[in-house]
Amino acid sequence: MADLRVELGPLSLRNPVIAASGTFGYGREYRDLVALDSLGGIVVKGVSPFSSPGNPPPRTAEVEAGMLNAIGLQNPGIDKFVADPEYLPWLRTVNTAVIVNIWGRTVEDYVLVAERLEAEKSGIAALEINISCPNIKEGGIGFGTDLGMVEQVVGRVRRATTLPLITKLSPNVSRIADFARCAVDAGSDILSLINTLPAMAIDVESRKPRLANVTGGLSGPAIKPVAVKLVYEAAQAVEAPIIGMGGIVSAEDAAEFILAGASAVGVGTAIFADPQCLSRIVEGLDLYCRRQGVDALAELVGAVKF
Amino acid sequence: MAEKRQEKSLIRNNRRLQGDYCQVDLESPGIAPLVAPGQFVHVKMPNLEHRILRRPFSVYDTDPKDGRLSIVYKVIGLGTAHLATLKPGTELDLLGPLGVGFTPPRPEQTPIVVAGGYGCAATYLLARQSPVPAYCLLGGRSADDLLLVEEFKQLDAQVELATDDGSRGRRGLVTELLEELLARGDLRNPQIYACGPVGMLKAVGRIAHQSGLVAEISLDHAMCCGVGACFACVVKVKADTPAGWDYARTCVEGPVFRSDQAVWE
Repeated sequence: MADLRVELGPLSLRNPVIAASGTFGYGREYRDLVALDSLGGIVVKGVSPFSSPGNPPPRTAEVEAGMLNAIGLQNPGIDKFVADPEYLPWLRTVNTAVIVNIWGRTVEDYVLVAERLEAEKSGIAALEINISCPNIKEGGIGFGTDLGMVEQVVGRVRRATTLPLITKLSPNVSRIADFARCAVDAGSDILSLINTLPAMAIDVESRKPRLANVTGGLSGPAIKPVAVKLVYEAAQAVEAPIIGMGGIVSAEDAAEFILAGASAVGVGTAIFADPQCLSRIVEGLDLYCRRQGVDALAELVGAVKF
Repeated sequence: MAEKRQEKSLIRNNRRLQGDYCQVDLESPGIAPLVAPGQFVHVKMPNLEHRILRRPFSVYDTDPKDGRLSIVYKVIGLGTAHLATLKPGTELDLLGPLGVGFTPPRPEQTPIVVAGGYGCAATYLLARQSPVPAYCLLGGRSADDLLLVEEFKQLDAQVELATDDGSRGRRGLVTELLEELLARGDLRNPQIYACGPVGMLKAVGRIAHQSGLVAEISLDHAMCCGVGACFACVVKVKADTPAGWDYARTCVEGPVFRSDQAVWE
């Protein structure tokens, strides 16, 4: 068996496969179907200071080799997340790295959630700052596409927590390298990318948008080549470790991100089709290492040949 | 939350029933014994890799001893059109059983099933497993949309039919049958179970409330994960929030809801 362990700066994982935020709920939802202790980690759905009902339905639409979503970050709010036995107290009992995705409408919102989780940090492996959701009016992608805001949000959250910090970047920028450097300079230990791509679909018979929110975020295999390129560019720009994601379905997809420079990978939309894909990707990466003749997956990070 | 499983199941039989409606029988020994009436399974279509999501289907009937699970479906889109082409022996990946089904009727109750079109398939198992004979009121646009009528009739049940065009049974709405049945006033502890188009469910709720009753209604919704993780399949329900409502997930809080919880838009 190849060594699949991953060191992401201050965050150590047993293997590189992480269930991506928004696709794995708060972990409990999949407990009958996925052996959580076989995963590198899970990123729980975005938590904000306030509870949020999210966007009106329809919230998703299947498209060619992918899907659009405009869930709108429906979540129970930080108070319930911390106290309700179904959320953080339950997550403390699982044997995998638990990463909490945080978001807000203002910089202060992000800081507030980070401070609350700092006070409750037992069982939390890291925080992931979501500054790239395309489906909320304030915060989200509006922050993630403005270098000044990225610096402010990441810097302020950095000062609010001692937990390892991941910043989830938006693909919707002209130069990803600038945003990668900005987040790392502001104190992010790790980068994760990409979030979904802003997109739209129309039902031609009814002539209506297929999402009530009109636009949403595109995910799934359709976005993989875009994501690989952005991970490659970010990895060229920063030394910080990268969690690469965007359309990963198989171990070969995951390997593509690792060769492009990611140290770990996020798997999201593919879980909807097959919850077993997570453990299959872990097993497949072991086989891939053997095919490549390496003892440790870490040797393949950024190892694309020219 | 009850146990759920992921299982590779084999198609034993896949045939057209009538019009665009088909029935597929699956060998699913792990899931079939766990299914309660009103629950659903989430199906990954094989060889349709560019369509990435599963499709949810109500379970029509099960035979736990034989490990059989049957689905009745209507060919309406790419996924169901593909399903209709699959031959016996084809493997289907199922997640299930999922969701909250109907509350099983108690012996001192009188169950009334109200089903429109495809809703017949989602309510049959409840009628079959009922400890007391159920009234089964089945409706559809025309005779072609009345599903499983013979199967319902073979149960120890009182079956009444209605079609919009009068091509079979009463000409009119299935909800008129419900109003008349309740107007008799001689039913002991009537409990209404309904599945069908939104307009029908809305009317069932209104009629139930007028009689001081609460119906259990099954809502159909497009889904992604099927297990409560993605928050795609939400519907508005009454809740203790400043707005008086919240979004509930059809896949885990439903698909069966109480009619007095529903917020119709």
